[in-house]
Amino acid sequence: MNALEVRSLTLRFGAVAALSDVSFEVGPAELFAVIGPNGAGKTSLFNLLTRVYEPTAGSVAYFGDDMARWRPHHLAGRGIARTFQNLGLFPYMSVLDNVLVGRGHLMRQGVVRAGLRPPGTRAAEHRHAAAARDALDFVGLSKVAAMPVAVLPYGLRKRVELARALAMEPKLLLLDEPVAGMSRAERSEVVDLITAIRKDREMAIILVEHDMGVVMSLAERVLVLDFGKPIALGTPAVVQRDPQVIAAYLGEVA
Amino acid sequence: MSTFLELLFAGIALGAVYALVALGFTVVFRASRVINFAQGELLALGAFVVSWLVIDIHVPFWLAFVVGAAGTGLAAFIFQQGVLRFALGRPDFTIVMLTLGLATVLQAVLPTLFGSTGRANGDPWGGTSVRAGDVALAWVQVWTIVAALLVLAAFWVFNNHSKYGLAMRSAASDPEAALAVGVPLRRVYATAWVLAGVVACIGGVFLGGYPNTVDPNIGNTALLAFPAIILGGIDSTTGAVVGGFLIGIVEELTAGYQPQYASWLGSNFYLVAPYVLMIIVLLIRPYGLFGSRPAERL
Amino acid sequence: MKTRVIVIAVALAVALVLPFLLDAYWLSTFVFVLIAAIGALGLDVLTGRTGQISLGHAFFLGVGAYVGGFIGADHGFTAALWIPAAGIIAGLLGVIVGPTALRLRGLYLAIVTIGLIYIGQHIFVNVTALTGGPGGRAFVDPAFGGFTFTGGLDVAGLSFDRNGLFYYLALLLLVLAMVFVHNLARSSVGRAMTAVRDGELAAAVLGVNVARTKVAAFGISAGLAGVAGALYGSFLTFAVPTDWNLALSIEYVVMIVVGGMATLWGPVLGALFVIGLPALLQQVSGSQPFFGALQPADAAAIVYGVILIVFLLLEPRGVVGLVERVIHLIKRNRQMSLEPSGG
Repeated sequence: MNALEVRSLTLRFGAVAALSDVSFEVGPAELFAVIGPNGAGKTSLFNLLTRVYEPTAGSVAYFGDDMARWRPHHLAGRGIARTFQNLGLFPYMSVLDNVLVGRGHLMRQGVVRAGLRPPGTRAAEHRHAAAARDALDFVGLSKVAAMPVAVLPYGLRKRVELARALAMEPKLLLLDEPVAGMSRAERSEVVDLITAIRKDREMAIILVEHDMGVVMSLAERVLVLDFGKPIALGTPAVVQRDPQVIAAYLGEVA
Repeated sequence: MSTFLELLFAGIALGAVYALVALGFTVVFRASRVINFAQGELLALGAFVVSWLVIDIHVPFWLAFVVGAAGTGLAAFIFQQGVLRFALGRPDFTIVMLTLGLATVLQAVLPTLFGSTGRANGDPWGGTSVRAGDVALAWVQVWTIVAALLVLAAFWVFNNHSKYGLAMRSAASDPEAALAVGVPLRRVYATAWVLAGVVACIGGVFLGGYPNTVDPNIGNTALLAFPAIILGGIDSTTGAVVGGFLIGIVEELTAGYQPQYASWLGSNFYLVAPYVLMIIVLLIRPYGLFGSRPAERL
Repeated sequence: MKTRVIVIAVALAVALVLPFLLDAYWLSTFVFVLIAAIGALGLDVLTGRTGQISLGHAFFLGVGAYVGGFIGADHGFTAALWIPAAGIIAGLLGVIVGPTALRLRGLYLAIVTIGLIYIGQHIFVNVTALTGGPGGRAFVDPAFGGFTFTGGLDVAGLSFDRNGLFYYLALLLLVLAMVFVHNLARSSVGRAMTAVRDGELAAAVLGVNVARTKVAAFGISAGLAGVAGALYGSFLTFAVPTDWNLALSIEYVVMIVVGGMATLWGPVLGALFVIGLPALLQQVSGSQPFFGALQPADAAAIVYGVILIVFLLLEPRGVVGLVERVIHLIKRNRQMSLEPSGG
């Protein structure tokens, strides 16, 4: 069964169409990329998939279930994790606590239990902290686990987000520009990380990215958006040769 | 019927005071997206200064009014320049707390300077009234309505036909972008505070007009204008005035009819009726009747 | 870690012997400080940790006091019942009122909670059976079985008067409340609260149930206010509905801001400051006005208004932030003197 089936998804703000008639599906272990010039509607698409926006028309099914009635906080429990383009981290919390927020849906603590902290709760807390440390280890951040996020440089913060998304134990991972603002060396490290994730566990990944090199080396299929409209969908090699895609990107360069 | 008309008129007059108070909140909010919790105390300051000038110094009322308005504007300006200027770009919470700090200080300073008991307002109308048919209209109420409408008109002209009006609107919607296109943000904020001070004095004098007393609690009465700004939507000048009138009318009609028809709501229910109305409206429209939903970014 | 244990031990030791060093005036002042600290700790959960500005705290203090009065004074039950009941009922009320606030953000919420103060006062004035109406009502001292605080207690050669007993009761409850809030802060609920404060939408996408988290914060905040209010009423012995006013709410907000928000010790230090300063000025002036007509209470208000402004501008993390800064400086100096070469 497909991880995601998107049918005729449309989002309008008044007269402006941020997305029009977008359809695609993502396999349960596929890495699917969405690219397009600035303002093409990539982040709008993510906001629709994570139920932050309500679509004007169209539907999204996640492993066969219609998402229309879900609220954003239902996603984590269903196995959907997301990173944010402008960082969705909590600056005054430690790196470890940031990752642990992503595991909240697995913990199910009530207020009374949280406040009294009986041995059972304490043990669960330690277990989840260990899982969070594993995720930090995986992205190479175990040394900074106790530091507040606010003191980390940008590149490391992006990795905290990645660790948090992994710690959520997702079946579908949405990555919003994971290498934006990074140096060449950092980029190739993140590419290696994503490759390692895919080798390690089975999950579907949707990647929104500007960096064509990253997309072409990772993605199995690519969807190209331009002004909210899908203009190409296929393997990286096919998409790269598509005249409409070339025109859209040349237009941006000029 | 004449009871109803009298209540309605009293409501409109009371609403005019609330509208004046609400305009003071709105002008600061429109420029800097912050609610000034010291507005009530600025109001009291203005009313006290005018009362002191008229009664203790024997300055003619209209001159005292002008001096008082200028003085309150100056006090607001000093606070903006001396305190708020250093908090530019801080979270809303910080700025709100700063205005609460000012409120706390003024609340203690005013009774020290002017005494903690009430004093006469100093307006020239006293209890005089004019009859229209079989309805008696107090002069102070007539003047309050006139003043509210004049101030509203002045704001309208200012907002739509002056370069500061435009600057304020752009400062409110996106401070960074406004700065980038050369809007002098600091001067805009300072102007907003001066205006808020001046409007506060006008509101204070009319709030002290009935019953003819100025006391330190006048600042708390000003809090009754909160439902007005919320109903109208904090960022809308017209909304503030409509909300003010609406609240005034609701309050007076409740005072007139609730004891008779809904006594189970308790005595003096009219005092909280504005807040009840506000909560009901907010549950239906979280940003007021005229307010706009702030954009949210992720 | 080790320093923290020492700090806690010293603080607790000082707190335990303090009543023997204080005169009656200061002992009663410290009882008020401890009671206020419980309430401030509650407000900090809502405002400091969850980011929901509330000016309605006084309403829940009032509810706690009246629940205490109803169960303790009117029906003569033990304090072991009415103190927790005040917390639970006020907390439930917070949970009921909370959802009203869910749709509202920031400043709108602050204003609606002001509405809660006025509507609450209206209800208090009119529910005469419970509150005594505008004239107010009396409360009773805590009693456990046959033993009441009124007459004091002599035990093991030490004698405790009413104030002393109140002091230790309030201290015990404050310590329990601090342990509760400390545990909460390092639980998934506490992390969810911080996440809601620092980015509601991101928190939701990460699986945080924003609505439930806010309601929980309202409940805890109101519950601690209820406990504080019950003790406050009992210690004061008498209250009128207008005591639970906006000014009281603002005092609590000042406590958490000056003390340091979202810290364990901030609310306690803030309570010490906001309650202790007027008491100090009152004593210094001998209840006489300072120069001219400046009343001691007004002088205190001016000082703490100014200090609030100064802290907000220069040290937004409050007294706790200031202390941390000083400790940091000392540590660095010590390190420098240990390593004269400068590393």
